Amino acid sequence: MEPTRHGSTRYVPTYCYNCVAGPDLLTVKVEDGVATEVRPNFDATGIHPADGRVCVKAFGLVQKTYNPHRILTPMKRTNPKKGRDQDPGFVPISWEEAMSEIATRLNRIRSEGLLDDRGLPKVAASFGHGGTPASYMGTLPGFLAAWGPIDYSFGSGQGVKCTHSEHLYGEFWHRAFTVCADTVNTRYILSFGANVEVTGGVCAVWRHAGARVRGVKRVNFEPHLSVTGAASAEWVPIKPKTDGALMFALIHTMLFEHPRDRLDIPFLRDRTASPYLVGPNGYFLRDSESRKPLMWDTVTNTPLPYDTPGVVPALEGTFTVTDAVEVGADEETWTHRDVRVETAFTRMTETMRPYSADWAAEICDVKADRIRRIAGEYLDNACIGETIEVDGAVLPFRPVAVTLGKTVNNGWGAYDCVWARTMLACLVGALEVPGGTIGTTVRINKPHHNRLLSVKPGPDGFMTANVNPTKRGKWEERPTGRNAHKTLVPLVGNGAWSQALGPTHLAWMFVREAPEGWARPSYPEIWFLYRTNPAISFWDTRQLTETIARMPFVVAFAYTRDETNHMADILLPDATDLESTQLIRMGGTKFVEQHWEHEGVVLRQPAVEPCGDSRDMTWIATELANRTGLIEKYNAALNRGAGSVPLKGEGFDFSLELSKVHSGDEIWDAACKAATAELSHGTDIKDLAWFRDNGFFVVPFKRVDWYLYPTMVEQGLRFELPYQERLTRAGIELGRRLHEQDVHWWDRQLAEYEPIPRWHDIPEIWINSVRNAGANPDDFPFWGVTTKSMQHATGSNAAIQLMDEVASNLRTHGRVVMNRKAAEKLGIKRDSWVEVRSIANVTRGQVELVEGIRPDTILITGQFQHWATPYAKELNYPSLNTVTPMSLELTDANGSGSDVVRVSVRPIEEVAA
Amino acid sequence: MTRYVMVADLRRCVGCQTCTAACRHANATPPGVQWRRVLDLEIGEYPDVQRVFVPTGCQHCSDPPCVAACPSTATRQRADGIVTIDYDICIGCLYCALACPYDARSKIDEPLYAYGEEPTASEQTRFDPRTIGVAQKCTFCVDVIDAGVAAGLTPGKDRAATPACANACISGALTFGDIDDPDSAVSRLLRENKYFQMHEDAGTGPGFYYLWDKEALPL
Amino acid sequence: MKTSIATGPWPKLQRHWDIRAACNFIGGGTGTGLILGAAAAAAAGQTFAPALLAGLVFVACGLTMVLLEIGRPWRAFNVFFHPQTSWMTREGVVALPLFGCGGLALVLHWADGPQLIVQALTVLTAVTACGFLYCQARILRAAKGIPAWREASLTPFMLSTGATEGTGILAALAATGLAPSWAPAAALVFGLVRVAAWRHYGKGLKAAGVPGASLTALERIGPMFLLVGHGAAFLLLAAPAASPEFAFLPAIGGLLLATTGWWAKQTIVMKAAITRGFSIPRTPVRGSGTSRVVTKPNWKTEAA
Repeated sequence: MEPTRHGSTRYVPTYCYNCVAGPDLLTVKVEDGVATEVRPNFDATGIHPADGRVCVKAFGLVQKTYNPHRILTPMKRTNPKKGRDQDPGFVPISWEEAMSEIATRLNRIRSEGLLDDRGLPKVAASFGHGGTPASYMGTLPGFLAAWGPIDYSFGSGQGVKCTHSEHLYGEFWHRAFTVCADTVNTRYILSFGANVEVTGGVCAVWRHAGARVRGVKRVNFEPHLSVTGAASAEWVPIKPKTDGALMFALIHTMLFEHPRDRLDIPFLRDRTASPYLVGPNGYFLRDSESRKPLMWDTVTNTPLPYDTPGVVPALEGTFTVTDAVEVGADEETWTHRDVRVETAFTRMTETMRPYSADWAAEICDVKADRIRRIAGEYLDNACIGETIEVDGAVLPFRPVAVTLGKTVNNGWGAYDCVWARTMLACLVGALEVPGGTIGTTVRINKPHHNRLLSVKPGPDGFMTANVNPTKRGKWEERPTGRNAHKTLVPLVGNGAWSQALGPTHLAWMFVREAPEGWARPSYPEIWFLYRTNPAISFWDTRQLTETIARMPFVVAFAYTRDETNHMADILLPDATDLESTQLIRMGGTKFVEQHWEHEGVVLRQPAVEPCGDSRDMTWIATELANRTGLIEKYNAALNRGAGSVPLKGEGFDFSLELSKVHSGDEIWDAACKAATAELSHGTDIKDLAWFRDNGFFVVPFKRVDWYLYPTMVEQGLRFELPYQERLTRAGIELGRRLHEQDVHWWDRQLAEYEPIPRWHDIPEIWINSVRNAGANPDDFPFWGVTTKSMQHATGSNAAIQLMDEVASNLRTHGRVVMNRKAAEKLGIKRDSWVEVRSIANVTRGQVELVEGIRPDTILITGQFQHWATPYAKELNYPSLNTVTPMSLELTDANGSGSDVVRVSVRPIEEVAA
Repeated sequence: MTRYVMVADLRRCVGCQTCTAACRHANATPPGVQWRRVLDLEIGEYPDVQRVFVPTGCQHCSDPPCVAACPSTATRQRADGIVTIDYDICIGCLYCALACPYDARSKIDEPLYAYGEEPTASEQTRFDPRTIGVAQKCTFCVDVIDAGVAAGLTPGKDRAATPACANACISGALTFGDIDDPDSAVSRLLRENKYFQMHEDAGTGPGFYYLWDKEALPL
Repeated sequence: MKTSIATGPWPKLQRHWDIRAACNFIGGGTGTGLILGAAAAAAAGQTFAPALLAGLVFVACGLTMVLLEIGRPWRAFNVFFHPQTSWMTREGVVALPLFGCGGLALVLHWADGPQLIVQALTVLTAVTACGFLYCQARILRAAKGIPAWREASLTPFMLSTGATEGTGILAALAATGLAPSWAPAAALVFGLVRVAAWRHYGKGLKAAGVPGASLTALERIGPMFLLVGHGAAFLLLAAPAASPEFAFLPAIGGLLLATTGWWAKQTIVMKAAITRGFSIPRTPVRGSGTSRVVTKPNWKTEAA
């Protein structure tokens, strides 16, 4: 965009990436050097899926910039005692003093060794939601890469606040770190707790609104009538944590109450492992010589390896195989002669046999007829056999999708749900095809910016998978991070994101009190914090705050004072959203529901001068690298792309000179040139000055690349469903390794490794946790659940008045939301105060009475109950985080937990702020 | 003739309040003063409940009761239907607010700031003392419209001549334009969809149309 | 409103009239009633000046209170700009001859001017006062945002209570000899009319289906208003008929009539001034969902 200047007014193009659904492209109106207004960037019309419109959160950025509570100079702690009740005694210091202090400590670590005596990194770093801080931290990743081992396992909600199991299984099965409907093509969406109208960002809201007007039917299963439920054609108030049972019943109904030809037989046969034969020990039956999985060929009536040309396998049935092997855990092998085996599909069918609609009705509190009707509607809309042309390619057209939300796709039961969702897609061939259930991006595999390129042929006709080894000798016996992510969770992989994806609450729990037989890890010597506030955003916040207070030395990049940096030793004021420079990728397919017909890069630039003595993160990162003697490694990391894009590629080289200390402008100028060179194949190179005027650069992105299906066909690969042989083997091996170490506290989690999930009474796990804590479950009769609001979700913006004000237009903001009749039974009136109590803690708030929530459920939106953050601490809002316990018992095999807790509610007197 | 109206497609609206925030920015209204906002309504009883998000604000009525009530002529109706307030004439009696069936008007008697007694830099830059002690409400961003029209642009079609809320709306729920132009987007939407106006019985002729379904297809 | 706001929830911005505005209706009504009484007394050649003076003071006090309410008092003159449609402008316009005639009548009376002219001016003042009170009643009716004010039967109530309050005060003045002795009887007659008007208003509100909060506010005062403001007041007004010893009681009865009228008006102007809120006749069709006809508007669905 051409900056227009009328007198002293100008318009500055930039981006907002305060949630994973970004970037939103925006323009900032600057009058007399002061940012006054945020507007959409309509220069992106036809490029951005929502034509350059901006989420409500971005409108908080002006107040964010000028918030009088900002920290505007480095500060250091003068009170050595740490705790919520301690005044940190922060006093202003110079940047020189702050950097010198940090560098001295870092250099001491470098000289003494980067790892402690247990092999754990002495430096830890924590960043906020979903990688969003990466879009603001400038070249800090370059410094982190240059440094070496860093522990990222002290999470601020990762694993329990994200769609965790979807991340892990989604990426494993169809390169889908997050999963969505192909909204622009679909006709029918089953939404289990997905709140896409709130968390999907501008693109999702725009696409779904269009779909509604087009007539799409979305059925929303959720205990309360969320924004997404409101905008759906039908709301099904399902009992919390029973979504898996309902999905099983849908599968059962499709399998047992409809003719088989209602399913997409060719897809199941050719694109999934449904025809693979399963041996008596539960592993694929394999060819004795090649060890390839066998299928029953209906042409020759013989078992043949899956990749035999011309094979037409039987989808289901039981067959006798004369000669084959099974390969189990740790290469244990069984040789079979004349063995009776069945296909994976038949195994799945038999596993689903007990789960009828009538069976699920009672569990889920949803009528059986309704479940049957929905299953029928799903089949009716699946358009089996139809095709659609996309960019010249003829693809299956299957306009039915299943989406899952937080609490459904994390914690116990999430495996059931994610598997069932993906299986529902497979049954009608609606996985990764137009109209169906599709993935967005990858984070465990590479490259992050193009998931199609991450697909490589792996074993048994499936894709490769970044799974941590579990075999003896290869298993990571000694954790390299405090949450033991590679040790405990094979599926989390070993990429840059893996550690933060691991069970991040385990790090907090273990440093405090390790389970039996597990060495308690040390506290890191230095902990860096950036755009994160785990003392509010994680669980059992009272105990977590106490743990944070034990961190020996904390360096916090600080916007304002908050509950976590209350324990910091050094506060560093970074230049915020509208004050600093960074180039990031945009477009293509990305988190949540970002499906563009363009891809490119967008610049964030200072619309205004940084307030006070706040500094650009790139300056800070460069300074840290220089003062720790890492400038060459830092520049090398930036050259590899740690800051944004590789600075050297085919036909271009804008590499930074390794030994030189480069200015921020030099670094970003090189990044701008390299990015545009890469995107344009060297034909259209733009520098930083061009980006400052124009904001972003894009090239076309093919729509057909929204779908993985063509890549799978091209490479002759199958989706690894329905039977989880590889993961079951990993689980058994993992169990053996742990038992060899005399570790048994993960046994419950190990039981979740099932080749096909079976229903376990998931809600009962939470009720039992109350019982196991020595309390009476009857005393905690409500399900406490939470939900996000678009105004605050992941925005770190509780201190922004405008966000609080506009969020207050929604009835659920800052309240304990109860069913009207349920509240009346307890004598609770609207606006009155209540205490919500769990086995862990209590939270208090005012009540909003609504009809749109189950009588056995209460809802608390967002993450509040601040006690240090200016402005936010006076809001006096309740928070479910305060009362949600953090425990191994409520941690699933992937290290994930759910935002749900059993609570009691009782009226109390008004609580003063 | 020209008659500017707003069409709010209730099928699309998700209550995100982006329009509310954009309006606060565009018009520099103080904390709590929302010329545009989105209501969160609930209809029915559990489990048969519907939740509806309804954008609201000044309806720029064709027969605006506020204009008739205003003793000072500060509130006026332009030929294009936009109801305006002249801050230099208004005496701040607030009679107009009581005459309005849409709760669209506000008055503040002292400056309000987001963070306490002192304005932030942006609040200071945009502070307009004329707004203190007088009635205020949505103007359909009349200055933007006038400047746009003067530049040959079409409000509702050209972004530079369109109210901030309609520009900002991320669900495409808000559409602005000239209902007297049969080719305008608002005219097309009203032709193709079923709609209602709020409190039609009040006889005010609101310039705010709420779409709730598409027109039945002709047989 | 104070500016020192640290956090939400945000204070209610002024979207309603407060006690200052209510005082204008109180002063206008009572003043008009007094002036009516004064005119009758003047026409009959009886003591009228104290009542006329008191009436003018009441009206003036009410207008002064309005001056304190408006945001830009130094622009008060602008109130005269819109006589074509605004009942508030008309109220202001009528106030000019009201004070002109009334003031002149008093001056001439005290200067021993021609009695006929004084009488004529006093009657003219009463006519303009009636116009003033009518304007006030119409101000409320013209407020389309407040269903409880839109009810047509509010106008007779506003007129009757004004007359009742004024003659009630006149009855009190009569006890001290500053007003004619028929004042209590007049107050009683107007009071009876007010009872009828109140009941008529109440029925009208229910028939119109005004917001529940408005009805509640009015129903809350109803029994006491009728019992004390009328029943007790009537007994006191009529008490001297039982015994001459009760001659002072009509004054109390008159004050009761007046103060309960003020209470009713304060309730109407402030507490019953509930906007009709927001309602939608249909819910939207989301995708292939269904629309619901909203038969029962939810008056209190407005977000806080």
